[in-house]
Amino acid sequence: MDVRSQISMVFHLDKCIGCHTCSIACKNIWTDRKGTEYMWWNNVETKPGTGYPTRWEDQEKYSGGWELKGGRLELRSTSKSKIVFNIFHNPHMPSMDDYYEPWTYDYGNLFNAPEGCDQPTAKPISLVNGKYLDIDAGPNWDDDLGGSRVYAANDPNLEGMNEEQRAQLAAVERLVMFYFPRICNHCLNPACVAACPSGAMYKRGEDGIVLVDQKRCRAWRACVAACPYKKVFYNWQTGKSEKCILCFPRLETGQAPACFHSCVGRIRYLGILLYDAERIEEIAKSSDENLIDAHRSIILDPYDPQVIEGARANGIHDSVIEAAQKSPVYLWVKLWKLALPPHIEFRTLPMLFYVPPMSPVMAQKDGDIISHTSDDLFHDIDQARLPMQYLARLFGAGHDGKVRYALRKQKAVRAYRRWLTVGDISEATVDRMLREADTTRDEVEAIYRLTSLCTFEDRFVIPPMYREEAIEMLQDPMEAKQSAGFGFMEGPSRGL
Amino acid sequence: MMSNTYRRALLVAATVTLITASARAADEAATYFRQNCMSCHTIGGGRLVGPDLKDVTQRRDKGWLQKFVANPKSYLDGGDPYVAKLKEDARGAVMPNIAGIDEARALALLEMIERESKLPKSQFAGLNIGDQPFTPSDIANGRAIILGEKHLANGGPACVSCHSVDNISILGGGKLAPDLTKVFERMRGRKNLASWLQAPATPTMRPLFANQSMTNDEITQLVAYLETTARKPQQTGDTATLSFFFLGLGGCVLGFIGADTVWRKRLRGVRKPLIEEARRGDR
Repeated sequence: MDVRSQISMVFHLDKCIGCHTCSIACKNIWTDRKGTEYMWWNNVETKPGTGYPTRWEDQEKYSGGWELKGGRLELRSTSKSKIVFNIFHNPHMPSMDDYYEPWTYDYGNLFNAPEGCDQPTAKPISLVNGKYLDIDAGPNWDDDLGGSRVYAANDPNLEGMNEEQRAQLAAVERLVMFYFPRICNHCLNPACVAACPSGAMYKRGEDGIVLVDQKRCRAWRACVAACPYKKVFYNWQTGKSEKCILCFPRLETGQAPACFHSCVGRIRYLGILLYDAERIEEIAKSSDENLIDAHRSIILDPYDPQVIEGARANGIHDSVIEAAQKSPVYLWVKLWKLALPPHIEFRTLPMLFYVPPMSPVMAQKDGDIISHTSDDLFHDIDQARLPMQYLARLFGAGHDGKVRYALRKQKAVRAYRRWLTVGDISEATVDRMLREADTTRDEVEAIYRLTSLCTFEDRFVIPPMYREEAIEMLQDPMEAKQSAGFGFMEGPSRGL
Repeated sequence: MMSNTYRRALLVAATVTLITASARAADEAATYFRQNCMSCHTIGGGRLVGPDLKDVTQRRDKGWLQKFVANPKSYLDGGDPYVAKLKEDARGAVMPNIAGIDEARALALLEMIERESKLPKSQFAGLNIGDQPFTPSDIANGRAIILGEKHLANGGPACVSCHSVDNISILGGGKLAPDLTKVFERMRGRKNLASWLQAPATPTMRPLFANQSMTNDEITQLVAYLETTARKPQQTGDTATLSFFFLGLGGCVLGFIGADTVWRKRLRGVRKPLIEEARRGDR
């Protein structure tokens, strides 16, 4: 057993209101520099929809992630032999149009326009070439556009549904959408790190944050192609790749990352997970239907004495183990089995998990009368507008068992609380639902508390990072002793 | 004090050394002559570019010859009437200063020429190719040698790797060295060309063929082919350039088609096709 610690995340999709505050917080801190305008390290997608970049989940086109080929894990995008043929041109790169051409507005015109009959306008200007631009795409162009024939209809997760099912999704009174915020998953088996020919990408030892070394990056952009979530971006100004750094400078000072901190719906949870690094390859090779169970099994119980001993042997500090024991992520993922990894079939073993969203019950329109197909307030999950098949493709590698389990448990939580607070559901019904959902009153109560009444400290259990000690390994803290001021770029010299 | 036997042994050894040394010197002079002089001179084979050297030591004083061979340039510049006549006989071609020559080597050469002159047929009499027309098989063999289809017996490289002749093969030959189509005319005939080929004397060719000279048969065949090309009415250079241009253009197009096939699965934009498809659906 090789125990390591990983900062992991849970996004509770049932709570997301799609306000994009997270995206803006991230943009303002990290990606408002030249060359990064088009990047959204955090973005919020409307699902069903094509996302950002357009249809990123379609690996037939983008060739991201891993493939299981004859018992071996292989990158789809590159290999030692493929790189020879693609050395001058990587054929799987998303183009600017697949992201979008970033723009600003000609605000100056509002003040400087000569007097005329019309109100002056601020025309959009491209941030790439500075010319006027007709905007026809953006990072959330299909925001709130459930049923769009261009975007929603082309969601790769709809694959395998027949025409009738697809038409249902777009029918009035059956229309459905939910929000899907995305950041880097800081995977256990990151394809971007494996693909980098310069060795510039690495997974930080102490907390598993995946980073790009800006000094070693040589602009091969193999990471951009290899990441199946398209969460590594190329900065055209500096000629280096950049990605979500999980706000590690904030984490190191005990603060939650900006997108977590600013989340209005409080959907985001962050905490330490201990895992067994020896088993990564074995787990990543599991068959599609076993992937989720296998992925959960790599996460270790932080109370197990053997695990604690292994963690200590690997130099994991007691305070980190303690943080792991308090981790909300451990509860969501391992104990309650409510949070699921996105597209685990890409086999990068993402460490960002999603609690799948509930959706309204289906309705029928008969003349002017709209009637719901279910009178039950807590309808059966199969009556939900969002087809189980769709969620299964997104969170279950095509198998709906785990998604069904998570939705059923969430429904049980609602029914239980309804019984407690409103009382229009019989105790017998609640007990049956709890039994069906494989849960208990205590667990349901705990889920309810962490969902609805969670404080900052409940949601973010950030371990102390001991940067001051870590720095001592690389730099001598006494180096600047007996010197004063900020130092000199060029030393002063006597005379004129 | 040295013993008698020992002294005798030393004497024998010295004699043997002396004899082998002089034999080696003669050998070296012959090799030097083969590599440097033979392309212009014969010994008893008649005039090439330069005069026949048979009995040259009887025509001129040996001391003068030695100095002339060691440094012909100074005599040519000096206005010596005999040298001026030689130049006229050679139709303006002058003897260059040969690399590695000095007075000692010149003397060795002259001695070697003297010895060879006394022989009924010197090894440097040159290759005598008659005036009869060549057989078609000679011409075909010559072409094969140039193309490298037939290997040179002593292992020299194929001509086509550096030279081009008469637009031989589709791509023509190499462009490093002169075109050989008219070399037969430039060299003024069979005899000169054949002698030159026996010991190619340019700085590039010399090291290539110094130790792997061509056989007489091969030279005859080459001369046969080169004579044919020189006499053939020439295709103008423009057609050759034009065909090369179109060949390049065709190759380029094929290259693009090949690259497009290899990378046919490359990303060709995702969002725009989606929109176009939706617009088509609207119509």
